[in-house]
Amino acid sequence: LQFDLLRAGLCKLSCWISDTAMSSTSQKHKEFVAEPMGEKPVMALAGIGPALGKKLEEHGFDKAYVVLGQFLVLKKDEELFRDWLKDTCGANTKQQRDCYGCLKEWCDAFL
Amino acid sequence: MDSLSSKSLPEISNLLDEYGIKHGPVVETTRNLYVKKLREAMTKGKRAKPSSDKTFYREEEEEVTYVYRTPTRSDISGDGGAYMRSRPEWTEREYEHETSYSSYSKPRPEYRGSDLVDEPYMYDTPSTYKNSYSKITAMKSEQQVPKVQKSSRLVPLWLQLLFFLALAAFLYLVFSNMEINESIKGIM
Repeated sequence: LQFDLLRAGLCKLSCWISDTAMSSTSQKHKEFVAEPMGEKPVMALAGIGPALGKKLEEHGFDKAYVVLGQFLVLKKDEELFRDWLKDTCGANTKQQRDCYGCLKEWCDAFL
Repeated sequence: MDSLSSKSLPEISNLLDEYGIKHGPVVETTRNLYVKKLREAMTKGKRAKPSSDKTFYREEEEEVTYVYRTPTRSDISGDGGAYMRSRPEWTEREYEHETSYSSYSKPRPEYRGSDLVDEPYMYDTPSTYKNSYSKITAMKSEQQVPKVQKSSRLVPLWLQLLFFLALAAFLYLVFSNMEINESIKGIM
């Protein structure tokens, strides 16, 4: 019984440590990286709200997987992807960072 | 500045290489981004190197560096900026592969400690002059190795050890405070 409690405690502790030690990831980010993206809309990406999402759709990036495609074609490079995002839909630094982080983590898990 | 928008995709790709801009495939969706980067590079007046940086081997020249190899042995050289620094440096193996081109009079400021392992291999080389020269530099540079190695770590060693000790102490505390019952006693 003690071992179970210890395990649970350590698990919670490590989750807490990773959440606070790294920059806080949003709920949106956590939901996105938890499963294959399937047909999720582009607004499901962390950092992409309704305004940015609409601009991306106008450029033809209507699904999250299309943005993923662009991310991969840019070789998952942070600088290139963030520049592209800024040019395409006018994302600010935080939005760029959130979107990049979201896609990167998704790729680490599923690609 | 030629009209970048009229360039073909492979041409843009070549231009990116000339300016040393890291890039992925140039396709319709990435084209605009890369054209923008090229324009920035051109207006900044960056030097475009049309050829040659791709061939790291120059057998006609005196110096040859396995540029791709030096990163793996760059305990001493440190980060990628060391590419330039490593040019005048030789590793043991380069001596082996070079035949008559090398200039023995060039001093070798750094010597990779791990290459000392290759010393027995050295005795197979045709030139005995090579052996004695390398041995001398090996002795001289050996002292430099421990001094220089320190600067290569991102996180200082003592910090890593400290963290490890702290973690070990923490785990010990956790275990020592556990209530031991019969079943666990069998394990511990």
